Amino acid sequence: MKIQGNQTITAPREKVFRVLVDPQAIARLLPGCEELEPAGADTYDVKLKLGIAALSGSYQGTVKLAEQRPPERLRLEVTSRGPWGFADGAGTLELEEKKGKTLVHYAGEVKVGGMIASIGQRLLEGAARLVIGQFFKNLEKEASA
Amino acid sequence: MIPRGFDYFSPQTLEEALALVAEHGAEAKLLAGGHSLLPMMKLRLAAPGVLIDLGRISDLRAIREEGEQIVIGAMTTHAEIEKSGLLRRRAPLLAEAAAEIGDVQVRNRGTLGGALAHADPAADYPAAVLALDAELTLVSQRGTRTVAAQDFFVDLLTTALEPGEILTEIRFAADGPRTGSAYLKLHQPASGFAIVGVATRVQLDSKGKCEATAVGVTGVAPKAYRATQVERALKGKALNERIIAQAAGKAAAGVEPLSDLHASARYRKAMAEVFTRRALALALERARRRQ
Amino acid sequence: MMTKTRWVGKPLKRKEDPRLIQGLAHYVDDLALPGLRYAAIVRSPHAHARILGIRFAAALESPGVVAVLTGEDIRGKLGMVPVAADLPELKVPPHPPLALDKVRYVGEPVAVVVGDSRYRARDAAELVEVDYEPLPAVTNPEKALEKNSPLVHEQFKTNQACLWKLEGGFPDKAFKQAHRIVRQRFTNQRLIPVAMEPRGVVAQYDAGEELLTVWSSTQIPHLLRTQIAAMLGVPEMRVRVIAPEVGGGFGSKLNVYGEEALVAHLAMKLGRPVKWIESRRENFLSTIHGRDQINEVEVAVKRDGTLLALRCRIVADLGAYHQLLTPAIPTLTGLLLLGAYKIPAVKIEYVGVFTNKMATDAYRGAGRPEATFLIERMMDLVAMELKQDPAEIRLKNFPQPKDFPYATPTGVIYDSGDYAAALKKALAQVGYKKLRQEQKRLWKQGRYLGVGLSSYVEICAMGPSSQMPAGGWESATVRIEPTGKVTVLTGSSPHGQGQETSFAQLVAEELGLTPDDVIVIHGDTKAVPYGIGTFGSRATAVGGTAVYLSLQKLKQKLTRMAAHLLGVAPEQVVIGEGELFVKGKPRQAKKFLEVVQAAYVAKTLPPGFEPGLEATSFFEPSNFTFPFGTHVCVVEVERETGDVHIRRYVAVDDCGRVINPLLVDGQVHGGIVQSIGQALFEEAVYDENGQLVTGELMDYAIPRAWDVPRFETSRTVTPSPVNPMGVKGVGEAGTIGATPAVVNAVVDALRPLGIRDIAMPLKRERLWELFQKKRAR
Repeated sequence: MKIQGNQTITAPREKVFRVLVDPQAIARLLPGCEELEPAGADTYDVKLKLGIAALSGSYQGTVKLAEQRPPERLRLEVTSRGPWGFADGAGTLELEEKKGKTLVHYAGEVKVGGMIASIGQRLLEGAARLVIGQFFKNLEKEASA
Repeated sequence: MIPRGFDYFSPQTLEEALALVAEHGAEAKLLAGGHSLLPMMKLRLAAPGVLIDLGRISDLRAIREEGEQIVIGAMTTHAEIEKSGLLRRRAPLLAEAAAEIGDVQVRNRGTLGGALAHADPAADYPAAVLALDAELTLVSQRGTRTVAAQDFFVDLLTTALEPGEILTEIRFAADGPRTGSAYLKLHQPASGFAIVGVATRVQLDSKGKCEATAVGVTGVAPKAYRATQVERALKGKALNERIIAQAAGKAAAGVEPLSDLHASARYRKAMAEVFTRRALALALERARRRQ
Repeated sequence: MMTKTRWVGKPLKRKEDPRLIQGLAHYVDDLALPGLRYAAIVRSPHAHARILGIRFAAALESPGVVAVLTGEDIRGKLGMVPVAADLPELKVPPHPPLALDKVRYVGEPVAVVVGDSRYRARDAAELVEVDYEPLPAVTNPEKALEKNSPLVHEQFKTNQACLWKLEGGFPDKAFKQAHRIVRQRFTNQRLIPVAMEPRGVVAQYDAGEELLTVWSSTQIPHLLRTQIAAMLGVPEMRVRVIAPEVGGGFGSKLNVYGEEALVAHLAMKLGRPVKWIESRRENFLSTIHGRDQINEVEVAVKRDGTLLALRCRIVADLGAYHQLLTPAIPTLTGLLLLGAYKIPAVKIEYVGVFTNKMATDAYRGAGRPEATFLIERMMDLVAMELKQDPAEIRLKNFPQPKDFPYATPTGVIYDSGDYAAALKKALAQVGYKKLRQEQKRLWKQGRYLGVGLSSYVEICAMGPSSQMPAGGWESATVRIEPTGKVTVLTGSSPHGQGQETSFAQLVAEELGLTPDDVIVIHGDTKAVPYGIGTFGSRATAVGGTAVYLSLQKLKQKLTRMAAHLLGVAPEQVVIGEGELFVKGKPRQAKKFLEVVQAAYVAKTLPPGFEPGLEATSFFEPSNFTFPFGTHVCVVEVERETGDVHIRRYVAVDDCGRVINPLLVDGQVHGGIVQSIGQALFEEAVYDENGQLVTGELMDYAIPRAWDVPRFETSRTVTPSPVNPMGVKGVGEAGTIGATPAVVNAVVDALRPLGIRDIAMPLKRERLWELFQKKRAR
């Protein structure tokens, strides 16, 4: 599933970028993140509780902050797997300065496998939008604080 | 069905249920008709530790009139709503929507409250309760509050229900004179859910002009919504085919339609227009018959 | 044969129905055995991955768990999943019941957990952790043939599993001489059979008797027994297979699955009975799929519409492994590709391809629906290009009744037929000429009415053993019990087709009894002589004929016995209702029961007469049978939504002699519904990573009652010369005949848009897009 969009964050670009690469902050940005432990260069092991309403489950995974080009570009790679299968996502965040605010362009792809892929079709896009929405809501909160 | 293990409670009264909900918190799920929850538990996509079955609370299962208001208990089944003489006579929109849900087996077990609280983006009721300007009663041990349908649906599968709260009933005004309504739907062929479902209400003034319309749309976006631009375009007008068609063009204005295996965003948008036009035309015809 | 018909030809309600309707029938999952254990299978979420390790200590310690097995545990102990199809230079990859080293499709079994309840088994299965190294997957068969494609089986260095060619007549010459060549590329999309009852297996090993009993929801109990014995290395007489009530198969249970041997292995290993019941999700992922061919077809025609030759390339997506008949199915497409037409030359090339998907295999019609779809779509395209009526072009190219038996250039010999009669009858019933006028009128109003024809022929009654992978005959034992009641033991294994009723009618007819005097037993290898099973529309034409032949032997014995008692010559004795009497002297009679008892008490027997009344026959058919017919579908396509409304559906089928018209109608109805499914709704969709995204009935659309019209069925009757009863078979006619009728109707409706072809399934949005494009132009 391809994902693409824009989101404005009411904070300067440098600040937004700092938040995005700060492990402490990332733990608060990732929706449902319960644990985040360093595991190598720019890589973290995470425990996620992902889902919506009754449809939630625990996932083990990794987050990698790759291709960092402060303060304008960052590649985020997330892998996760749980009893329902796996969800792996990779995408770039491009940060554009806009009058003291930051316009974040995001584009990437999510691969899901197992149960979620084969029965969740109808809700997948809506769920992805919801999770992305949460992510940016958290980012707004962290960056504008 | 082979779900994970869970504890099961079947309270006899609302008070008992509220106590159980308060006690078990986020671990508990309320079981109404079970037609969304149980399939998810069967697949182990949902695995609540506690199920609180509302099926034995008979007070939650009724359709009644309170003056000009219709009140429906949350545990009323789709079939009861579909077949209610009272609703067919005084406010047929919800009954018409109920008749479009799933199949006979689903309608015999599924409930109004369960469907609303689940807030599936393609469920039929949300469009209807939005178009009816219904109010939903949410009860917890902390007290009772009323939420307008507009405010109840928050996002995909997400409602205004707070932890500890149970949706007990919904209420809305019965149709007045010169009012007509219609629910029309394009079924997704596999699941029967709405690719697009449009609930409309048209109220004419004494001169036959449009006093007010309400258009609820489901299936198109992550949550059901009121097509307010359509409504505004019709208000005060002498309705005809052309005006309705023009207004219906705004059925998906301002929303970013979903796309999935069964329908692209483009198709959903187009169907929202087609079904809004058809539902408005049918509601208008019915309103004219109820002079 | 049968001149009198007291029972044959009567629309009797099924003897099976009361138990099915009342919930009194016993399916595999209804079986309760003391000490039963339950298996849950861990399946791959990846389409292609290396297995780096499997950690199952937590699962093993989980409450109630008695065993966890992985591929390593059965390596060398359990044989490979068998393939019976035999093609020249066929590549056969090893196919273990639990994956070894690599997984190659989503849903492939990786481990099995056995617990003391199905809940605990499932709980523990979630605790099995498999480390995968995901590998690139290939899901498109044409891409799989490209040089740089990921390889499903590295050892073959190619994804091409087989190459099969068929040529008859002088096709290339015909194409050179043609007035016109009509070409089209089609896709017969992948379908999921969706039998109402998923698969299920229970196995029990009696160590004292050294007997392994396997209950399986299967269409082929005997073949399954042979294969399980081989996979386990157990002598075949120590294995008993029982097919209890089977809730539909549609070919998906004409197979031997790894789980069947695996559960048997577990029962022997654990010394406890073990049950495994497939979930619907597993049924979607890991029970065979059907169709999935890409077809490039070209037809050479003369100016007047006479067909000269057909060429076709078939690229068939076989999936990751072969199941029992996987690579053979597309050869049936080849054999039937000339359809109901006299086409003197043919050239077919079929390429079978491995992909990272579930195996395809026989799904109702098995290769023939694909063929009918292709030729019937081509006939409409020929008609369109030559500006002729689709009915006329068909009539022009049919073989005439005098041409039968008609040898086609593909090598099959059509047994009997009057194709024009069926077409004309269908046209008359639907009111074809009026419909064409109505269509023109509606087009002018911006409404889109379409009429679609399909004049199909099919290959049934499978089949002559020379052309079958594992025997094409069928067995039947008929036993008249000492009480005069009759037990039929058939090697057929009906699972919804109704042979308990139709065979009883046959017995009643031949022996002068009533169907209530007859019981038909099937599906238990301990009770029934070796048989082949139910598939390929064979149960009545082959299995029924075996019953018929046994009845002839018994009739001879009965008349000899009666003659002996009556003191006349056997030739003078006639079988009447409940009695045997002397020809022309109905008063000179012996009750049926009296004759039967005399044969059993054996006090006075004719010379050389063996006591008892039991006869067994193995019928080997000399040819297939070739049922045919014409279906006409009338649709209206809604411009605004793309919705297809089926207004009429007329089916004229000829399946030879009919034993029970109600059963025939039922088979035709069900088949048409599945055909409508392929035409309008169904499609197994794998994404480019090999995930089956239509993994449940929420996303895979099979037709519902409200999607189908009232069917107008009728028949012509052209007996088959291949068997003494003249029956042809009808189990697949609907699925073979109907899909192109629906598609032709929709394409016909959209002719004003300049449409030539639309890919199946004809989803609303696809049709809506066509209207949008037209508007944009």
